[in-house]
Amino acid sequence: MAIYQEKDLRELKYHILTSARHDRAVRDLAGMLGMGVQPFRRILIERLDMQYLENLAGRYEQWEARGDREDPLDRALGRELFTSYLPMVEPSGMEQIRAEARASVEAGTPPSEAAARARGRLAEVLRP
Amino acid sequence: MSLLQDAKNWVRSRSIHVAYVDVGSCNGCDIEILACLAPRYDIEQYGIYVHNNPREADILLVVGAMTPPWVERLPALWAKIPAPKAAIAIGNCPVSGCVYNRRETYILGPVAKYIPIAAEVPGCPPRPTEILSAVLAVAPTVFRDYEVNRS
Amino acid sequence: MKRVVDVSIPLGPVHPCWKEPARVKCETRGEKVLSAEVELGYMKKGIERIMRGRPWQEVMFLAERVCGICSVIHNMVFIEGMEAVSGITVPDRAAYLRVVMNELDRIQSHLLANFSYCYTIEHETLAMYLLNTRERAMDCMERIAGVRVNKAYMIPGGVRFDLRDTDRALLLADLAHLEDSVHRYGRMFDTGPLIATRSKGVGILMQEQARIARAVGPTARASGIAEDVRLTHPTYRKLAFTPIVRTEGDNHARIMLRFDEIFQSLGLIRQCLHDLPAGPIRGGGTCGAGETVSRGEAPRGELSYFIRSDEYGRILDIAIRTPSIPNIDACTHHMLPGVTSLADVTSVFVSADPCIACNER
Ligand code: SF4
Repeated sequence: MAIYQEKDLRELKYHILTSARHDRAVRDLAGMLGMGVQPFRRILIERLDMQYLENLAGRYEQWEARGDREDPLDRALGRELFTSYLPMVEPSGMEQIRAEARASVEAGTPPSEAAARARGRLAEVLRP
Repeated sequence: MSLLQDAKNWVRSRSIHVAYVDVGSCNGCDIEILACLAPRYDIEQYGIYVHNNPREADILLVVGAMTPPWVERLPALWAKIPAPKAAIAIGNCPVSGCVYNRRETYILGPVAKYIPIAAEVPGCPPRPTEILSAVLAVAPTVFRDYEVNRS
Repeated sequence: MKRVVDVSIPLGPVHPCWKEPARVKCETRGEKVLSAEVELGYMKKGIERIMRGRPWQEVMFLAERVCGICSVIHNMVFIEGMEAVSGITVPDRAAYLRVVMNELDRIQSHLLANFSYCYTIEHETLAMYLLNTRERAMDCMERIAGVRVNKAYMIPGGVRFDLRDTDRALLLADLAHLEDSVHRYGRMFDTGPLIATRSKGVGILMQEQARIARAVGPTARASGIAEDVRLTHPTYRKLAFTPIVRTEGDNHARIMLRFDEIFQSLGLIRQCLHDLPAGPIRGGGTCGAGETVSRGEAPRGELSYFIRSDEYGRILDIAIRTPSIPNIDACTHHMLPGVTSLADVTSVFVSADPCIACNER
């Protein structure tokens, strides 16, 4: 059996991400996580398959419209976004980050700061 | 002319197995090939069978403008088809790249660079009847007396 | 995300059941599919990149060749976008004729989708009936526009060909024929006991999942989401259009929904022909600068074009979102996991009516 099917798909995946709408979504998400665009693209390429990438903008817009509505912390963290809309982190890992952020808010940290720190943690988890 | 060759000629004239491969089309030509299956055109009455399995095909219909992943897969697929075989390019896409052959494109056409093309059916897309008559016209020229002509 | 699997089974890129090349890798345990992954790239032509910097006259033909199956709606959405940015109005007659053409296209596309499904579950008889019926719809379009597939029927300010009275009579006769046959084959599909075993309860898409993946068109409407862009289109508003919705969300529902939509399209065409106002079919105008998002309901769901043009009508930036993108996504990531037999993978995939050419552009 020839192995020519298992190819390096990174270039093809990168082509998908350069379309206008995808680019906007990627920039938004990278800004949200405080990451450079290029490193974030790399993360996307490594963690998601091609169909998720094609639908990246759609899923992101859908999350913007209806995901994580209840809790501002979840919204800031993109809890559903990164676990079910674009499954890049394990739900358990996300829960842990969230619990830590919760705890620090209760300990007296201002919510915005706690959220920012939690996003930093999330970015670390995402980085390979 | 041997009796065996006559028998082969006769059998081959009534049984042409076709596979098609889409190397980056807009689907227009694809669907016109599918439409050939419809009872209205009824390709089976000419002894043409669409199996879409390269290993039992005689004729390969190529549609599409040759996207990069196909560059090594198409010759591999072509190699799987047992001889005698012929490839027919359906539509403008495999012939010239059609509208996609412009600056900034990803395609790497034409298909003739990668596998030998026996016939071309231009059109965007060609009508099912044109596809049908192309297959019928190519088959005898390739398959008739194949063993004699080869030696 | 890693987990224990028995085997990872790749299907494709060339597969006898699929019209187009794509590769779906299914991770299975026993016969059960745990997850599926798609590999694309076999059809990526870079149409959006080619379009940039070109005059609308060229982009119009490129837009149509995003997808050969639903070329009319691509034409329509792009042209309506250009009209919106440059303030061109369309004569009433042309607006109605556009709807006629679009609905004819929907009929043939739905028939083709149902043909593919029947072919995939190996019900060749019904498949061939449907494919033959589709030829009637193709004839109707050919009679109006002169070509079968890439018609370029709509242009800024109107349509290219008028509907003559003789054609109109023939069209009505064909519609009656189509209605008869689709009625018959739809009932065959609905009542066939073996078809039901292969289709009912297979490949279920829950409403919440459909919303997460942003599924559109028949795939979403079969899961209980009443969304249809035709509801916001001015001409369809005049025709008092309401979408058809089903709630089962399985293969059977998706196919039956397409059959029902064919009847609805036939009704819309008849209504258009009945209301068809007299008058010119082409107005004038110049394509100019602007930026807009133009939407339309393709046979497979919502299609949208983001267009930015300069004052000479050249396209500066364009982004196309085709309905197949979310539908294939919903199909592979939500319908396929949980399918209990590998034999159903192909039929579930085909039931979402995937069009890889649109998907990758
Ligand atoms: S020749 Fe035309 S119809 Fe055929 S695949 Fe190419 S663009 Fe599509």
